[in-house]
Amino acid sequence: MKLAFLVFTVVLLVAVLPRYESRAIENPGAVQSASSDPQSDLQKLSLPILLRLGEEYFLRLGSANQNPQVFMPPDASSTTVKRALQLQLTQRLLQGKVANIRRFASSNSDQLDDSMERGKRTDDPPISLDLTFHLLREVLEMARAEQLAQQAHSNRKMMDIFGK
Amino acid sequence: MSVTFRVPLYFFLLSLSALKGQTRYLEENEITPEGLFSLLNSELKRELSEDFIYRRPLRCLDMLATDGQFTFAADRPQLNCAAFFIGEPNEMISIAYDNVNIDCDGGDFIKVFDGWVMKGEKFPSSQDHPLPLYERYIDFCETGSVRRVVRSSQNVAMIFFRIHNAESGFSITVKKLLNPFPCNIISQTPEGSFTMVIPQQHKNCSFSIIYPVEIQIAELSLGHFNDFPVKRVVPGCAGAGDFVELLGGNGVDTSKMFPVADLCYSFSGPAQMKIGCENTVVRMVSSGKFVNRVTFQYRLLDRSELQKIKGNNVEDFCFTE
Repeated sequence: MKLAFLVFTVVLLVAVLPRYESRAIENPGAVQSASSDPQSDLQKLSLPILLRLGEEYFLRLGSANQNPQVFMPPDASSTTVKRALQLQLTQRLLQGKVANIRRFASSNSDQLDDSMERGKRTDDPPISLDLTFHLLREVLEMARAEQLAQQAHSNRKMMDIFGK
Repeated sequence: MSVTFRVPLYFFLLSLSALKGQTRYLEENEITPEGLFSLLNSELKRELSEDFIYRRPLRCLDMLATDGQFTFAADRPQLNCAAFFIGEPNEMISIAYDNVNIDCDGGDFIKVFDGWVMKGEKFPSSQDHPLPLYERYIDFCETGSVRRVVRSSQNVAMIFFRIHNAESGFSITVKKLLNPFPCNIISQTPEGSFTMVIPQQHKNCSFSIIYPVEIQIAELSLGHFNDFPVKRVVPGCAGAGDFVELLGGNGVDTSKMFPVADLCYSFSGPAQMKIGCENTVVRMVSSGKFVNRVTFQYRLLDRSELQKIKGNNVEDFCFTE
């Protein structure tokens, strides 16, 4: 019930608020190629965007209890990461930023080549990851925990072997 | 002792002492599993060789701080994936492709980036990295058959990949190599200490802490200790060829961050500063004429300190005190 209400609010906000070109969450590409013709692109994609956004938003929330058809495979230890992802997505959608679905869903590499070309001329990275610092720290802490566990395991193994 | 014996002996002793001086910083004094490994007999070695390599699947969004073999198997099309690599400050990352089964012509790619890229900003910045931007991306589809091992210039690297078919995948082995004079580091932890040395090289090095921290500089040495301190004609650090700056900002690119303090005089004795930004950087600019060294420590600011800093500041860019 709450979920449906939230999705409805988001869809309403997206329809009402002015649309800003923004990077997709995972593969933004170069901003230049995106900003070249944002309005008409978005208008062309407006209806599919709303539907797709609804889908993706839903999919991400669905990771908590349903089959994980999600962007990031769920992990037993990454509930905080999931929550952070959801929060980030919610914030983005509520601020009226629309993910560039065309780039996100595109399977051809033409746009990527374009951005690579532009990247060579300007100093902007052609491929970038749009991640908040909060999420980056979460993943870093997970990696540190993994490293410490691996170090402990390795030490234990060495002790076993040299104790023989 | 005869003359013919003395000369080679003196030469040998001279070489020993010279080498001792030169290689002092390159020795690895830690006991490592690989070092001990070599002491075992062949049977135990065979048994252990499997155990010592850490293996796990690679996720679509991942951060790797350990050595090991990581395999990505796509159970469905994954179009936007990235994994971060990070090591200790004095390590570099080496990525070797073990076996790669992707469809380059079908739009799949695997690109290794020398540094980290986040929200369109890169670390190290273009000013601090020796290679131009397009050379920092190494595409497997273009160079994979020729270049199967990619090495980073600092303790961080990234890999971007896109796989369309469900049966495709790849496997990489990550190793860490020792970097005797680390330049451009991202700290793995919000607390710690570090000494950055730039030995008479004309380059700029940054130490980035992706947390709001209090930095305490214990010692700063710009120039050789035998030189007299340079008398500055102009007050402040304008025009100094060698200095250390503290930067604060909300991105990873050091060239887009705000300088919070400039230090261009050698001193010892702690000087501290609280920087309430998402990213705090200690950056050393070196002209190449001197050996420059800075020693500092840092600790995470807790919520009450952050609140206090924000309360006391009128300016809006990350809060400093």
